[in-house]
Amino acid sequence: MQFFQKFYDVMLAKGRWELIVQGLGTTILISVCAILIGTLLGCLFALMKISKSRILHGIAGVYTTVIRGIPLATQLMIFAFVVFGPLGWDKLLIAIIGFGINSGAYVTEIIRAGIEGVDIGQTEAGRSLGLNRTQTMLKIVLPQAVKAVLPTYTSEFIALIKETSVASFIAVMDLNKAGDMIRNASYNAWYPLFTVAVIYLILTFGLTKLFGMIERRLARSDRG
Amino acid sequence: MIEVKDLFKNYGENQVLRGVTETIHQGEKVVVIGPSGSGKSTFLRCLNLLEQPSSGEIWFEGQNITAKGTDIDLVRRKMGMVFQHFNLFPHLTILQNIMLAPVTLKLQTKQGAEEYARELLEKISLPDKADTYPAMLSGGQKQRVAIARALAMKPDVMLFDEPTSALDPEMVGEVLSLMKELAESGMTMVVVTHEMGFAREVATRVLFMDGGNVVEQNTPQEFFSNPQHPRTKDFLAKVL
Repeated sequence: MQFFQKFYDVMLAKGRWELIVQGLGTTILISVCAILIGTLLGCLFALMKISKSRILHGIAGVYTTVIRGIPLATQLMIFAFVVFGPLGWDKLLIAIIGFGINSGAYVTEIIRAGIEGVDIGQTEAGRSLGLNRTQTMLKIVLPQAVKAVLPTYTSEFIALIKETSVASFIAVMDLNKAGDMIRNASYNAWYPLFTVAVIYLILTFGLTKLFGMIERRLARSDRG
Repeated sequence: MIEVKDLFKNYGENQVLRGVTETIHQGEKVVVIGPSGSGKSTFLRCLNLLEQPSSGEIWFEGQNITAKGTDIDLVRRKMGMVFQHFNLFPHLTILQNIMLAPVTLKLQTKQGAEEYARELLEKISLPDKADTYPAMLSGGQKQRVAIARALAMKPDVMLFDEPTSALDPEMVGEVLSLMKELAESGMTMVVVTHEMGFAREVATRVLFMDGGNVVEQNTPQEFFSNPQHPRTKDFLAKVL
C-alpha cells in the first residue's frame, strides 16, 4: 500500500495529475499535427525527387540532406529562437511546424523508396491504357507505394511521438516536461519518470498494434 | 492504319532499331518473330511510344504521333497493349482492373463501364472472378484479364508483347485461343511472339526481324514453307 500512497502523493496530489494529462494532450497534438504536415511535405518532396526537373529534384535533395543531417534539438531551437521566434509565434505552434518539417524529410525518403519500388510495368500498363502521368501516379503507383511503405511509415510516426519529448528544449509543456516539472516539485525522480515512461510505452505499443491490424487488412489483395 | 517510316532507336551506343519502315493495315494480324535482341519488342513498344524513337516517324490513323505536340494519351486510348508480365494492378479487383481506365478517363459512367467489364469477363470465361484480386489467378487467367482490360478501351488495334512467354506451358493454349477469337472478330493485331503455331494459324503476315530491321516478310504459308533469307532459314531451323 505504501507504493500507492507514495504514487498518490507524488503524482496525483496538488493537482499534479492535471500536468500529466495536459502534457499528454500536448504530446499527442504535436505528434498528430506534425505527422500530417510531414506526410504532406513528404508526398510533395518525394514527387519532386522523382521528377525529371533538375531544379525540383535539387530543392528536394537539399531539404532532405539538411534536415536529416542536423540534430532535431538543434533544428527545433533554430526554428524557435531564430526563424519563427522574432515573429512572436506561440511555442506550441512552432514545435508543431518544426516537427512537421523534420518528419517531412524522413517521410520524403520513405515515399520515394515506395514509389521507386513499384514495378515499372505498372506505370507502363497505366500509360498504355491512355492514363496520363498524374492519373497513373494517383490511381496505380501511389496506392501500391503507400501499402508497401506502411510499416516504415508507422515506425516513423512512432519515432516521432518519442522525439516530441525534445519539445521541452523550447519550453513547450509536453508529457516529458510535465514529468520533469513534477520531479522538480516533489523531489522524487522515480515516480514521475517511470509514469511518463509507461505512458509513452502504452502510446507506442498501442499504435504498433493498431497499425499492424491496418496492414493486415490492406494485405487482403496479396493472398494468392 | 499504322505507318512506320525509317524508325531508329538507340540506347547510347547500342543500335536496337536501324531504319524500320513498315505499314500495318486495318484488320491485319501481323506476327513479328525473330531471335532475342532482334529489336522486335522495341519495335512494338515504339508503336505506342512506350519507347521514344531516336528518329523516324510513326503515323497512326492519319496522324503523325511522333510529331511534337501530339497528345500521346489520346492516341494510346486507341491502341491496346498486352505485356509479357501481365502488369495487372495488384491492389484492384479484376473488375476494377478492367474498369479503371474507362472510368478514370470519363469515357463511360461507372455503371456502363461495369456492365461492359462483366460482358468482357463473360467473353474470357472468368465471370466468377470479378471480385477477386489478381494474386488469386493463374498466369493464364491473368493474361486473359489483361487482354480484357485493354479491350475495355475499345481500341482500334491491339499490341501483344510476348503474351505467352511468362506462362507455364499448360496455360499457353487458353491465351492463344482467346487471341485467336479476337483475331476472328476482325481486330487489327500486332503480335510479338515465339509461338510459331500461332503465327502459322492466325497471322495474315509474318515479319522476321534480325539485327534491328525486318529481314523478310511473307504470308505464313510462304514464310514457313519457303523462307528466302539465310538468316530466316537459320532461325527457323532452330525453332521448328
